[in-house]
Amino acid sequence: MKQNIENTQNNKEISRKDALKKIGKYSKYTSLTALGTYMILSPQKAQAASLAAPEAPGSGF
Amino acid sequence: MTKIDKNNTFLFKKIEDKTVVWLANSNQYITLEDKTAEILVDLIEEKSINTIAKNLAEELSIPLEEATHFVSVIEKELFLPNLIEKKNTESNFHNLEKLKTFQYSKKYLINDFIFLVDYESEEELYFVHPKFAHLEIENNAKTDFHYQVFTQNKFTFLIVDGSLIGSWHRNEIHFFQGKFSMQLVQDIHQKEEGKWLGVFHASAVSDGKSAMLFLGDSGNGKSTSLALLQANGFTCLADDFVPVDAEKQEVYAFPSAISIKKNSLPTLLPFYPELETSAEYHFERLNKVVRYLPPNNDDYRNHLPCKALIFVKYKAGSELKINKISNLTAFEQLVPDSWISPKKENAKIFLNWFSDLPCYELTYSNNTKMINTVKQLFNDEL
Repeated sequence: MKQNIENTQNNKEISRKDALKKIGKYSKYTSLTALGTYMILSPQKAQAASLAAPEAPGSGF
Repeated sequence: MTKIDKNNTFLFKKIEDKTVVWLANSNQYITLEDKTAEILVDLIEEKSINTIAKNLAEELSIPLEEATHFVSVIEKELFLPNLIEKKNTESNFHNLEKLKTFQYSKKYLINDFIFLVDYESEEELYFVHPKFAHLEIENNAKTDFHYQVFTQNKFTFLIVDGSLIGSWHRNEIHFFQGKFSMQLVQDIHQKEEGKWLGVFHASAVSDGKSAMLFLGDSGNGKSTSLALLQANGFTCLADDFVPVDAEKQEVYAFPSAISIKKNSLPTLLPFYPELETSAEYHFERLNKVVRYLPPNNDDYRNHLPCKALIFVKYKAGSELKINKISNLTAFEQLVPDSWISPKKENAKIFLNWFSDLPCYELTYSNNTKMINTVKQLFNDEL
């Protein structure tokens, strides 16, 4: 299988299109193409906050 | 690599015109056409590819060769890869070099519990404290939970009551913050991680009887709406980190402050004049400046059933529009942005809970109209 949605904070801009997969996409039979279209949804691997940390004065990491 | 029981690696749930399949191995959800899901079931039940393909060819009036190829690909892509148990080679534990000293110690009162959190330096303090500063109390002899946060070789560590919970690289500090919050959720509500269905990136508001979750990408006004709603008689249950339990599928309170972006200040200052002088935090990497507004919840033990999910879209100049949306569409948006328990029994509860949940899309620009619409939704007047 190709790349799944790895929707983390850093690549939040994953579109619906990226999650769509096709089985036998070159099939000339539209009924098979329809059956072979599916979507993979990956929940986050761990709990995450949506904001990272503010810059502490003088930290600069 | 070890083989695992195939009967325990898939869950099937019909939602609208599709079948959602949960894969235990990867804790992923796939949305399949019903017929494709049936083929997967046939493979699980050890029917031969020939038998399955023959039926498919007849049903679709296609050549057997095409059908056989199709079933083989399903076997190869969806069935076989999910029978192999993946070994988790990632570890977020790193050897500790030495005992740390802590520059800051803060005590927070949440429900009846006192949390002592030691921070190695100002940096660690900034990872956590701004969101919880409203809960800080003067030093008190009692401590129920002792958290320690420090950094070594760019990894930030969390220790709770002497046990190492984990460490996260600085580039993934939002996972450290997520784990810190999850640890708090477990301690505040006295439920271990396995008893939670999921944690959602949403704002949760309640009318005292039930809760609604506001979802949507950053910049669509989730937190601003929450702040406005809590100024208009509703209670803020949680902002950004919304835990839902497995047993009753209720939305639980989380005590962090609401993060208010700079461009929301003009809207909110009439309701919250204190925001004028509250501390400002700069998220330079995200190009965001926020202030924190304490939630108006006076009992963080709160937990209420979820009445609906609302995907909010702020669109300047737009008329207010509220539409019921399909659960499948909502599912596709919700899942990638959420932590959902990887336990099979919880995944099953999640699918059942979600498939019955009313989901709406709310587009707005006028806040008063938005508030009235939410009132109507809570009162079943729409």
